[in-house]
Amino acid sequence: MRSPFAYTPRPGPLQAASPGAAVVYLGAFVATAFLYSNPLVLAAVGVAAALAGYSAGAGSAVRIALRMGLTLALLIVVVNVLVVDRGETVLLRLGEAPLLGRVDITAEAMVEGAILGLRAGVAMIAFAVYSACVDPDRVLRGLRPIAGRSALTAALISRLVPVAVADAARLRDAARLRGPAAAPIGRATLLRRLMAGSLDRAVDVAATLELRGYALTRLDTARGGVLSRLDRVPHKQVRSPHRPPCVLPSLGPGRGRMRFKTRYDRCFYCVGAIVLGAAIAGLFLGADEFHAYPTIAIGLGPGTVALSALIVLSGLAPRRRHA
Amino acid sequence: MSMSRGTAAAIALLSAALAAAGCGFGPGSGVGEVSLTVTRDYGAEQVQPPTSDEASESDTVMRVLDREAKISTRYSGGFVQAIDGLEADERFGHSFDWFFYVDGVEAPVGAADFALHGGEAIWWDYRNWSAAERVPAVVGSWPQPLLDGYEGKSHPVALECRAAGAACAAARSKLAAAGVVLAAEPSDDAIRVLVGPWARLREDPAAAQLEQGPQVSGVFADFTREAGGYRLHGLDEAGDPARDFGPDAGLVAATRRFEAPPVWIVSGATAAGVLAAAGLLDVAHLRDRYAVATEGGPETPLPVRPS
Repeated sequence: MRSPFAYTPRPGPLQAASPGAAVVYLGAFVATAFLYSNPLVLAAVGVAAALAGYSAGAGSAVRIALRMGLTLALLIVVVNVLVVDRGETVLLRLGEAPLLGRVDITAEAMVEGAILGLRAGVAMIAFAVYSACVDPDRVLRGLRPIAGRSALTAALISRLVPVAVADAARLRDAARLRGPAAAPIGRATLLRRLMAGSLDRAVDVAATLELRGYALTRLDTARGGVLSRLDRVPHKQVRSPHRPPCVLPSLGPGRGRMRFKTRYDRCFYCVGAIVLGAAIAGLFLGADEFHAYPTIAIGLGPGTVALSALIVLSGLAPRRRHA
Repeated sequence: MSMSRGTAAAIALLSAALAAAGCGFGPGSGVGEVSLTVTRDYGAEQVQPPTSDEASESDTVMRVLDREAKISTRYSGGFVQAIDGLEADERFGHSFDWFFYVDGVEAPVGAADFALHGGEAIWWDYRNWSAAERVPAVVGSWPQPLLDGYEGKSHPVALECRAAGAACAAARSKLAAAGVVLAAEPSDDAIRVLVGPWARLREDPAAAQLEQGPQVSGVFADFTREAGGYRLHGLDEAGDPARDFGPDAGLVAATRRFEAPPVWIVSGATAAGVLAAAGLLDVAHLRDRYAVATEGGPETPLPVRPS
């Protein structure tokens, strides 16, 4: 079964935008969530990230991230109220506990835990949208001129891990097909077989890469590296159905990367910059007025409300526009 | 029916066990009055009038302060940043912060973690701590900790007179007047009150810390050897000599060596000085003071303030 967080090609501005634009746009949400503690702003960031996900057609990823985020938030609240007994409003006294000492459940610790949980949840939604909407191959291609070997390693992992998962499923099926009378196969045995097969495959891939010259020089053509014939093939041609499928189609020469600049890029770069700029300006103007201790104080001034409204609106950026 | 009776009995037993373990809803019942003093500059000036408040089972130093004053905190509510708008700060290369003492002893934990048991004297002071990061004990909560102990435990009080003569009797009488019961035998967990001329008291390892300066002893005073005797010097907040007291000066101070109980020092360069110091053992002279010195007349709070 395919993970809801796995990238699925869909028509839409966020998917069509270059990875850099998508990272700036979604990264602005994550950065704002880590810059702010005000619950209104955090909630606005969460709503914006969810709206972005729904607008980009990644509703299932958002829903699952929400569920996971809520569970994590609840866990954080529980841990926080048990380990932190600060705050003026004592709701419950649980006496002395081993390791924890005196445990007082306070409203302030609960709110602080909820804020930490909300922040984690918001980050999870943003990463879920990123994962479901941004093509990882394009991200790796973008990374290639900066860190060629890292991009290569990541590309290999992104391909070899699903292959290993499929191998494991096949091995399990094969074990089951031996019939009910056969001795049970333990997980350790299965893992050993899987590891042996994966190592064989890894050696094959390494040999192929070596034959193609990856071990000899840098991949960066701009620095005079030597590339194989396939490396020199323009990306468009590598993708061509007339060409045999390549293990690393996305690692073509860097000159093809500018082709992915789309008309949506400017929009996402602008929205991301506006959100981040407004968030930083808001910090200096006191829009993050919140403290849980010693008593809860939440600032809901015009600056906070305006920033929250702006953030929520920014979540509509990936909506498809019909001409 | 028997099942429901069993369940009810189990619930009742569980509730009783939880109540016995100190569990319950809300802050809990009262445990006694606590007093709160908020000052600045080593007790030189009161930031707000002293108050007393009924403490509850769940009360901490931070909760009492929050009820009585307008505060802001940092490090997730663990440390006090400001009281009544007076903020921790760096000025002219000196660090100013809020410190608190419970029953005259520096707390080993933060205010949010210091549980109260009722009867405590809490003292918050905003001071320059450049010269002495730690002042482990002060005399300003007299008669605490001599009367009821500290950190929720009572400690015996041992009066140790070393060639003190009349001063020893004066100190004994002052302690008795404050309700302090003296232990018959010295013990390791006793709060010691040392009375005697400095030439004798300096043989005690805890008292000898005074000669290593305020950064070790927390006492802004120094006895220097001069012409076969000792002379008392008052230090300022920076730890520099600021005042040379007369030949018959006396000193009342408190210090602490490692985690041992506090040691009170009632001393002077001469017998007259020691007697003068013993005369200071009362609320009127010690209230809100870190330590005091006297030349026979009115006491001088230490550290010495610029005139």
